[in-house]
Amino acid sequence: MLLILGITLPILMFGSLFAGAVPLQFETVVNSLLDLNGPRQDFIVLQSRLPRILLAAVTGGALALSGALIQALMRNSLASPKIVGINSGAALAVLVTIFNVPAMPPSLLPLPAVGGGLLAGLLVWWCVQRGNVDPRHLTLVGLAVGLTLDAGVDMLLVANTGPESSAPLIWLSGSLWGRGWAHLVSVAPILLGLAAATIFLAFRLDLQALGADRAAGLGVRVNLERTIALLAAIALASVSVSVVGVIGFVGLMAPHVASRLVGGRHRVMLPTAALFGAVLTVGADTAGRAIRPPIEISAGILTALLGASFFIWLLVTENRETTYDRNQ
Amino acid sequence: MTQPSQLQTIPSSRATSFPVATRWAVIGTLLGTGMLASLVTGGRDDVGLAAFLEVMSGEHGSIAQQTMRDIRLPRTLSAALLGINLGLAGLVLQAVTRNPLASPTILGINQGAALGIVVGLTVPTLGFIPTWTLATGFGFGAVSATFAIAGLFSGRLDSMRLILGGVAVGAIGFSAVRLGYTLEDDIARDVVRWTVGDIADLRFAAMMRLALSAGCGLVLAGLLAHRLNLMAMGHAVSHGLGVDPRRTLLQAAAIAAVLAGVSISVTGPIAFVGLVCPHLARWLAGPDHRRLVPVVALVGAILTVWADALSKLAPQTEEVPVGIVVAAIGAPWLLVTVLRRVTGGHAI
Repeated sequence: MLLILGITLPILMFGSLFAGAVPLQFETVVNSLLDLNGPRQDFIVLQSRLPRILLAAVTGGALALSGALIQALMRNSLASPKIVGINSGAALAVLVTIFNVPAMPPSLLPLPAVGGGLLAGLLVWWCVQRGNVDPRHLTLVGLAVGLTLDAGVDMLLVANTGPESSAPLIWLSGSLWGRGWAHLVSVAPILLGLAAATIFLAFRLDLQALGADRAAGLGVRVNLERTIALLAAIALASVSVSVVGVIGFVGLMAPHVASRLVGGRHRVMLPTAALFGAVLTVGADTAGRAIRPPIEISAGILTALLGASFFIWLLVTENRETTYDRNQ
Repeated sequence: MTQPSQLQTIPSSRATSFPVATRWAVIGTLLGTGMLASLVTGGRDDVGLAAFLEVMSGEHGSIAQQTMRDIRLPRTLSAALLGINLGLAGLVLQAVTRNPLASPTILGINQGAALGIVVGLTVPTLGFIPTWTLATGFGFGAVSATFAIAGLFSGRLDSMRLILGGVAVGAIGFSAVRLGYTLEDDIARDVVRWTVGDIADLRFAAMMRLALSAGCGLVLAGLLAHRLNLMAMGHAVSHGLGVDPRRTLLQAAAIAAVLAGVSISVTGPIAFVGLVCPHLARWLAGPDHRRLVPVVALVGAILTVWADALSKLAPQTEEVPVGIVVAAIGAPWLLVTVLRRVTGGHAI
């Protein structure tokens, strides 16, 4: 399964090079990519489309991993970076920075994003630890945190009307428009490093899935590793948000699809989820460019349409059995 | 069939021990001062209380008097009517779902109605249908979908699925709205300004539409009040007493969709009024819906009129839309409520 996804992703990414306002010949694209002689479109292929496709793959994978970690840690199959409010926290922090410190170079924006994401994530986490909360109610706390932060985002957008405010608007809906090598270089190393660390953690997560007591008996320092995994999840999501905006529901969908495909063992499930997230985001970005060129539809809009429908389907099917216990 | 964990949800909100007269005096004063504050503030300094009194006595010659009559009065009254509409919608929804978090925004009505309006703008063949009808229709569709997800057909609503389902339905509606204005660039600017809930440009015609829906809403909610009381005792109990909960749910959904749909087609989605007002009203007037219907209307009017006054008074170069002011009050309130309930071991 991992292999199939691993093959699909490069093919999709290659296909994605053809989508967009300027239609390209197969030959032209290959020539530009491989530095051959003949008709070439270097700027479009190498400077415009290639970096954004790579960025879509990296951030999609990161969001999916983040979602998988959060679902495992919070033991809640409906949790995701968006539902828990991390995306909104990161978005608010980035907007505050953009409007108040205009001199801030875009390559440093991941810093405030991680700060905002951490704040939102830790607030939710703190509520869970403190109140001995039913894991299902966690989603509600996350939802309330997210709505509150979104109100802050709206307020900022309205307070800063003007020509410069339309760029944040596009960014908020989760778009890869105008993202180039500079963005890729500023976040890809962080995200890839975090992803590697996460997959290294996967084995320990499998032990934790046995339950906290047994895991402790097997020599796992449960609290420490949970904290590390949570921080990694928040950082993965927040850094992604800082470059591509709020691409919702990838973090929710990918882990579910992955665990249906390969089962719940994190060693296999996490890489599968990451690949699936990458496929999903590249696919959404490609479709957004291909549907009605030259107009681009933000990838975040398409993932939200697809993801929210998927979420409803999860609600209707998966919780039927759990509702009954809760009412006893 | 019943969900025991939910039985205390509505009756647990208690009436306060203020004497009745004091309570009404306070409500009246708040509404009156709020309307005055909203009337005398605005872009022009020369339009004040005097102009209001002159307009009331039938004069409308000077610019100040015309401003008062054509701009300030419709705007203030619209704000009040908006609060009545949204407060009632929230009350009805919270009563039938027996869920203190139910409200037009959370259940997806607002986003559905917004989608209806964008569809009306982008599909020219639907141009003959009035905007508010489309908004109401799509809003009703959205809330029905949410109810269906929560288990309407099996005869009982699961509160968790209700809220999460509503949020998902809302997310679909909202993404579709954004998809609409990505594809049709011309309407983007209108839609963006409109999505934050701005009432600065309301005139007489818009106000009349709000008044009509507020009137219908009050009458219908009043007629439904007895059933709402029965529903509060539990869906199984109300069924036993001869009220089909599924029918009542759909009736309430229709009323809420009309109230929210008309408001949204006039002003854009204003969140949190429908969520907060019913709680304030229950705190003031206790659990009986026959009393709650008028009280929630008053509370809603007070909230939005004051939000409107504040939006004009806020020290900004530009006016802050009233929707933002309401969100600034309502969102933290929601957070605190959820935290208190969740950590306090209450059922949601």
